[in-house]
Amino acid sequence: MKDDLLIKSAVCYCSDGDKLQDFGLQGIEINKQLMPANIRRRASLTTKMAISVATEACLQAEVNPSELASVFASVGGEIQVTDVLCRTLADPQAMVSPTQFHNSVHNTTAGYWGILHGCQHATTAIAAVDDTFAMALLEVWTQLQQQPGDCLLVCYDEYWPEYLAPPIGELAFATALVLSNEEKSYAKGAIFRPQIAPEYSDFSNDLNGLIELSPIASAIPLLQAIQHSPPLALIPLNRDQPQWSTWFKKIT
Amino acid sequence: MDITVRPVPVTAYSVISCCGLGSHALYQALLSKKTGLSDLTLLDVPFDTLVGEISADLPEIQQSLSEYDSRNARVALAALNYQEDGLLAAIESARERYGSDRIGVVIGTSTSGLYETESAYQVFLEQGQMPDDFHFLFRHAYQATPRFLQKQLQLQGPCFAISTACSSGAKAIAAGQRLINHDVCDAVLVGGADTLCRLTLCGFASLELVSPEFCRPMDQNRNGINIGEAAALLLLEKSASQFDNSPHVLSVGESSDAYHMSSPDPDGKGAIAAMNNALQLADIQPSDIDYLNLHATATQINDSVEAKAVYEVFNDAVLCSGSKGITGHTLGAAGAVEAIVCLLALEHQMVPGTYGLEQLDQDFHCQVVKEPRTAKTLHAVMSNSFGFGGNNASVILAKNYER
Repeated sequence: MKDDLLIKSAVCYCSDGDKLQDFGLQGIEINKQLMPANIRRRASLTTKMAISVATEACLQAEVNPSELASVFASVGGEIQVTDVLCRTLADPQAMVSPTQFHNSVHNTTAGYWGILHGCQHATTAIAAVDDTFAMALLEVWTQLQQQPGDCLLVCYDEYWPEYLAPPIGELAFATALVLSNEEKSYAKGAIFRPQIAPEYSDFSNDLNGLIELSPIASAIPLLQAIQHSPPLALIPLNRDQPQWSTWFKKIT
Repeated sequence: MDITVRPVPVTAYSVISCCGLGSHALYQALLSKKTGLSDLTLLDVPFDTLVGEISADLPEIQQSLSEYDSRNARVALAALNYQEDGLLAAIESARERYGSDRIGVVIGTSTSGLYETESAYQVFLEQGQMPDDFHFLFRHAYQATPRFLQKQLQLQGPCFAISTACSSGAKAIAAGQRLINHDVCDAVLVGGADTLCRLTLCGFASLELVSPEFCRPMDQNRNGINIGEAAALLLLEKSASQFDNSPHVLSVGESSDAYHMSSPDPDGKGAIAAMNNALQLADIQPSDIDYLNLHATATQINDSVEAKAVYEVFNDAVLCSGSKGITGHTLGAAGAVEAIVCLLALEHQMVPGTYGLEQLDQDFHCQVVKEPRTAKTLHAVMSNSFGFGGNNASVILAKNYER
């Protein structure tokens, strides 16, 4: 199997669009109409923004959402739903709503994604604090080494209650990429095996500031590379140590 | 082209559950068909049920990692440190041989440190602020326990949590096998850790899925689950001739129902796809599976869908049983706990029984074993795990590796 993966599409959303423009990126808007009313009514912002970027990424990549495996990744997942449940359960006699309960699991968005599109391919939901984007990309890379075709990567965190881990969650951020190991498919670039970086790259103060508010913003250096297409560049994927990185290559 | 995966050896494993500390305690419970389920003492809930609560003493978290201290971390540490299972020694040996950056940690959980978070919210609602020792990222968050284990073991490879509800522990095994198969890691500590909390107890009760009595997997009169807690850890390493006699993970099949968030597809299509995918990845036939550890939670719908799916894949040719009457349903850890049930079945050539099963549902046509029995022919076995969101995984394990 080929070591490199083609990037068929890359989409992002940020609750503060100006912040994205500071990095030369253009975000999309949340599209609530992507879900039928019965799901939309109870879906969190987490699910709405993740489904929005995922759908747009599939559209831009010209792939059918029912025909690819997916990796969903988030630090806090359904944090607002969990917050409501924890507040309710502080009363020892209280019971919880069954819908809120099943909508609190980390793979809620992954589950709705399959239900919305009738997609029976494997999907997973992972979490790794500051390394969440890096580990999710690594999971996609290993999946596509095993299985030829496309894989959808969706990373997201919504607003968090301010008493949990401030300032994380002051910003909502999501990104989705369709990656592929198919030959000759149209692509915005290629990445190689995520690896521990040969040398540490510092993130800019601006980027560090954004990651403080949403760890998923660690995706920005790769999103910028996809936008600007440098011939070859080593892209850091997290700011922790050990630092993970991938080579990005322009497709000519 | 048919896609297959390379088997990876399981070089050490350990488990803690309501059956006690260490894999031998679980083996003894399976062999004697003795349930670990009991009354709930850890916390209060406004309904009757039995749970698989861990009563073994839990170790303290070392001072330098105290911010990670949670029941979930302690339960995982207990399994890690249980000397008779030799897991810690095996990881230390692997670290010597491969280097710390070549060893990953991938752990499944559904609620991580939520038990502590629930107490913190009580303080928060009374006093207007979280208690001083509340550490969201280090205790509550899904990644808290794998991070703790990584730091405890001084490892530097890939480290993440998988949280796909009740399939999490099985999916962690899949991710670990891929990391080794594609040369990102030489060894990966995989498994699951989940501990009791009010959210899962009350949540499943709100779905009317909790039994007030001992659960009865696959039984005509089954009426719901008993929730349990556990940590189950397995060390996977890259294949080597010295490990040929070790048990191996052959494959993990994965699929989605695409049907409903908390109820399985009544046709069992997702479950069938997971089992078939596992068989195909391992390049073996249904007739090669000698024992199947069912997901068998003892809810009406889960067991009936699984029985239908198993019959579709295996006809009535495979011996099946469910172990949740002994361990409880350990949710995000269940896939890893039941992988260890399968490893014990292989090691001791034993087919576990099904605690709680009296009268098999008359609509089920698979061979569900009630009483544990010895077997001389267990080579390849399968374990099913199906979770919320219609997230399915089937793990195939083998007694050794036949090159």
